[in-house]
Amino acid sequence: MKAEFINPFVTAGIEVLESVIKSRPESGQLAVRSATFTTQQSSIVIGVTGAVRGHVVYGMSLVTATKVAAAMSSTPPMTFDELASSAVAELGNMISGNAAGLLARAGYQCEITPPTLVRGANIEVSTTTPALVVPLYTDLGKIEINVALEETSAAS
Amino acid sequence: MSGILVVDDALFMRVTLRKLLAEAGFEVVGEADNGRAAVERYRELQPDLVMMDITMPEMDGLAALRQIRSMDSHATVIMCTALGQERSVKEALKSGAADYIVKPFKAEKVVEAVRKALPGGRRP
Repeated sequence: MKAEFINPFVTAGIEVLESVIKSRPESGQLAVRSATFTTQQSSIVIGVTGAVRGHVVYGMSLVTATKVAAAMSSTPPMTFDELASSAVAELGNMISGNAAGLLARAGYQCEITPPTLVRGANIEVSTTTPALVVPLYTDLGKIEINVALEETSAAS
Repeated sequence: MSGILVVDDALFMRVTLRKLLAEAGFEVVGEADNGRAAVERYRELQPDLVMMDITMPEMDGLAALRQIRSMDSHATVIMCTALGQERSVKEALKSGAADYIVKPFKAEKVVEAVRKALPGGRRP
């Protein structure tokens, strides 16, 4: 996987998070994983198709997910219910949609699939390419971006 | 009062839009969580305006927009999209969407777009 494929997701992650939780996250050290495992208690999985294909996983602890959902809803801390799950899934959708736009500008036109929220750690997300991982450190906790994408023949 | 149909597969977005539209004095007359349901709800409710997400399961917002506009050529539809989905936005505008808003959006942008798009510039 090309390292350049993760940059749009990190850029979009920082911009979208800053907009929805009103504080700018810091990105951490890039790491490589040979397979994509959910390492956090709540993970949003989004598929990517087109000039690049694969998936992106946004992982965070349940505590962080609950805080993010509350910040997005402008409500006091809430339980991690259906509405909170939906808010966190939508966060992944917004970041991925923005990143897809950045990829398109770089010549990789692609579409994203609706998000799926996975609860529980150590669940493997099947992939044919190693995943690149960048953590984003926010005031509400760490959000890990895992990107496993490969170029297809549709790339311009 | 103008009736609005909110279409988004995310419960969070439907709740958020319903709340901010209600606060601005608009009435949300119905919701749908995919394009197919949106077409059915449109036929049933005949709302003044539709807020339509693009990326949804079963039938996406573009297909639903086209079906709604083929049923009612005066249908007013505002697309909700992530930044960077220019291709989808262009297709939507070509297919008759009145406007689009970009997620994550600010409440005032949504209200402004709705006021501008409502048939005859109608106010709540």
